[in-house]
Amino acid sequence: MRVLVTGANGFLGRHVVGALLARGIEVRAMVRRAARLEGLGWPSSVEVFRADLRTSCELPRAFEGVDALLHLAAVVSGGEDAQFAGTVAGTERLLDAMAATACQRLVLCSSFSVYNYSSVARTLDEDSPLHQTPELYTRDGYTISKWWQERVARRFADKHGWDLTVLRPGFIWGRDHGYLAALGQRLGRHHLIIGPLTRIPMTHVDNCADVFALAALDPRARGETLNVVDGPGERVWTYLSDYMRGSSRPGWRLPVPYWLAIMMVRLASATVFRTATKVPSILIPRRLESRLKPLRFENRKLRETLGWTPPLDYQQCLARTYGATRHTDSVPPRASASRDHAPFAARAQSAK
Amino acid sequence: MKAVLIGAGQIARQHLACLKTLPGVDLAAICDLSPATAEAAAERYGIRAWFTDHRAMLEKVRPDVVHITTPPTSHFRLAMDAVDAGAHVIVEKPATPSFEELETLVGRARDAGCHLVEDHNYRFNHAPQRILQRIESGEFGAVTHVEVLICLDILGPGGFADPNSPHPALSLAGGAIADFLPHLASLAHLFVGRLRTTQTIWTKCKDSPLPYDEFRAVLDAEHGTANLGFSSSSKPDAFWLRVYGERMQATANLFETRLTFDGPRNVPKPLRPFFSGLEEGKIIRRAALTTLLRKFKGPGTYEGLWELLARTYQALANQSAPPVTASDVLEVNRMVEALKPQARPA
Repeated sequence: MRVLVTGANGFLGRHVVGALLARGIEVRAMVRRAARLEGLGWPSSVEVFRADLRTSCELPRAFEGVDALLHLAAVVSGGEDAQFAGTVAGTERLLDAMAATACQRLVLCSSFSVYNYSSVARTLDEDSPLHQTPELYTRDGYTISKWWQERVARRFADKHGWDLTVLRPGFIWGRDHGYLAALGQRLGRHHLIIGPLTRIPMTHVDNCADVFALAALDPRARGETLNVVDGPGERVWTYLSDYMRGSSRPGWRLPVPYWLAIMMVRLASATVFRTATKVPSILIPRRLESRLKPLRFENRKLRETLGWTPPLDYQQCLARTYGATRHTDSVPPRASASRDHAPFAARAQSAK
Repeated sequence: MKAVLIGAGQIARQHLACLKTLPGVDLAAICDLSPATAEAAAERYGIRAWFTDHRAMLEKVRPDVVHITTPPTSHFRLAMDAVDAGAHVIVEKPATPSFEELETLVGRARDAGCHLVEDHNYRFNHAPQRILQRIESGEFGAVTHVEVLICLDILGPGGFADPNSPHPALSLAGGAIADFLPHLASLAHLFVGRLRTTQTIWTKCKDSPLPYDEFRAVLDAEHGTANLGFSSSSKPDAFWLRVYGERMQATANLFETRLTFDGPRNVPKPLRPFFSGLEEGKIIRRAALTTLLRKFKGPGTYEGLWELLARTYQALANQSAPPVTASDVLEVNRMVEALKPQARPA
């Protein structure tokens, strides 16, 4: 079986490539023209395909001999329009190219940001309400582009009868990516913690990559939408302490109850910023909610659908993130997961 | 007045936001090659219809005005189609990649009885308009010289110097800087008129995909002289406009709200610099506050575009001449053509 991975040299992508290789899957890694691949430790068996989703005319060739697409590529920096053009219009071009090939299997990396946190009362799961238009357009560029990317993928899958799996990871963390937006507001070396006891919907990059590799292979994932978190998540105060200790970045932590912060931001929004159209995200009530609202998160559907449990526990994840040893290997696949690959592999062969 | 827009990218956002505020303007449709981009813009701005084929849109909607906000290399073809459909055209700068195409387009628009308005937005910012008012009142004296210098870091990997995907502006003679020449030329044209002769220096100082990253020019024009420049290396980002008159001088930073005048005072001559400095300090402090506040609301540095669009639609409704005429567009682009480099660097 051969899988095409977009965004393969990104933070999640490089771990997904490792997880696929660990399962004996052939990987074609799509990276951009100027991407530097030294230091990724990919074996020569990884076929590198250089293209840019925004402009490349070579995209149909990327699908030659490919059984499944793992679409991880997204633009996460720059302005709202740059993110939309790179993430959404890029996905349109990629899936247009896929439609002309025999590849029928798509696993999309979506995000928790597609959920409308404002409408969730207690537990956020796959049944929680998503953003609706035009309310969506009051959100940040990342949220808008990820929401639209999912919409585009679902439309293509419906139109062409593809097997689509949408995975929505929470905050992905790991080495060099320890600081999370869920931690509040950084003030130089110090931290304003909004809701210190709030749990973070988090998944370590090695655990998350394991889910993606499993979803690409396991037929039970077809047609499913699954949230990807390692468990209920650590509390903000605990995780920030581990981050500061692990990264050797000491500083003060100023805790503010979430209810007080959201009340003050709502008040400011109704008075000082009432007519303002360009305000920092943390001062916009809906955006503050989507980063920091205290909710319960669980991975019940992921566990029940794929029989998945995180290969690494929190302490192992901390060791991989902040320990002296840099792990380039992925976590080994479990025997139960490997057994589940057979039906889909056979189906992919027959499709060819 | 029925308006449509082609090209729902970054600058389109300013056009659409402004059009939603203008009385008597019906934003009827939007077009983009990307269906998602077109549909998202239609949803965001409450536009009734969206298209991926501009000809189908022109045929079905029959607009009065077409806004063209696509990359420059597509402007000529789209504008010709819009004019052929009997619509006035408001096109982003540069109107066309070559002057020959512009002459063809202006001729076609004239024959069709349509206006062609190029976005000379900075000309309509608050500062140049205030300076213009003082010139017209006689208070400023005749303009002798103008300096326009844009300091802007365009070497970052996310924009013009994207190493993964060539920016459309790189196909223009002069590369990314050519995208800014209409700004420089429209301000020079506003204050010193038609170009007579020019000397230019184009250089490349930093390693990047851009053919040039520094530009300087000296111009002799109908009513005075001008220095124009673009610097990718000078920090911080700024858009300096200095106008020298026979009685006063004006200095503005068009990326901010700062505008100061220095002129005659009713004080003994040795004390003039002292009182001028005091007043300038007061104005700069006030401008610092207004620059900060405008970050929260409104069009910001695009205030000139909003003003240009408001005046254009008013003129179209009154059937009078638009604020940027075909003659302005031709003269500014004649200047732009003269400023372009003759050959790419080795």
